[in-house]
Amino acid sequence: MRFLELNSADLDEVLKRYAEEEAEAREVRRRYADWDYIRKQPPRIRAALEYYVETGDIRRACLIAGMDLEDFRELLRRANIPVVV
Amino acid sequence: MSAREPEFAIADTCFLIDWARYRHRDVLFKLFKTVFVPETILREVKSENTIAWIASNLAKGRLTLYTETADVVSEATSIVEASKRSPHLISVELPEAVCLAVGRRRGYVVLTENRGLILFSSISSDYRDVAIWRALEVIAMASLKELLEIECSDLEARFKEYEEDTKHLFPRRDLSRVVEVLRVELCRSR
Repeated sequence: MRFLELNSADLDEVLKRYAEEEAEAREVRRRYADWDYIRKQPPRIRAALEYYVETGDIRRACLIAGMDLEDFRELLRRANIPVVV
Repeated sequence: MSAREPEFAIADTCFLIDWARYRHRDVLFKLFKTVFVPETILREVKSENTIAWIASNLAKGRLTLYTETADVVSEATSIVEASKRSPHLISVELPEAVCLAVGRRRGYVVLTENRGLILFSSISSDYRDVAIWRALEVIAMASLKELLEIECSDLEARFKEYEEDTKHLFPRRDLSRVVEVLRVELCRSR
């Protein structure tokens, strides 16, 4: 199986574009987030929400929160953190 | 974006749990003959709304359970490992990796909102040709095929409804690109 076999210029271009898109998405998540709600959460939940705002990585955020995917998605709605995809 | 007509899709958890909240969610079944749901994905769905929608459409034959074979799981495991080896990537987990493996093997459209999977497929030689659709592409394609009612005076309406129903935001650049395609394809002749 072949993985990650783009030439380095193509790979750099894709990753650069991704980094730009992710930076924009991060700003949207930060702007929309209900920070008062986030600060009132227990430490583990708060850390997971902050991690999600910064990275957009929902799977790892679920692990940090100790929650399954659908419950964490609902938590994002309550914290007014949009999924930007 | 082209208006070719894929008949089958396979959906992951991130897609289903948002899509099930969309007021026009059943348009999915006008777009595809069958949407497959892997058993690993079904096990992740918990909420009453989502599971009720999935169950009723399994009963109607519009959704079909996909039972993973050993070779699909093996390929999916390789995807997970490859994604975790690269520091550039958001890691891909097994449920969505199963969807990507099946999409490649069977030519199904992969329905996902998982950023890790979208990035992985764009930089992997083996998966670049797999059709990956977000809700954005699903709504766009349903609009192009006039399965959703579209007003040329407000081409963003169906997308805004999705954002309201799900608290999911489309990247503005991507939304503008799609709306421009709709304007050219649908509204030029009206």
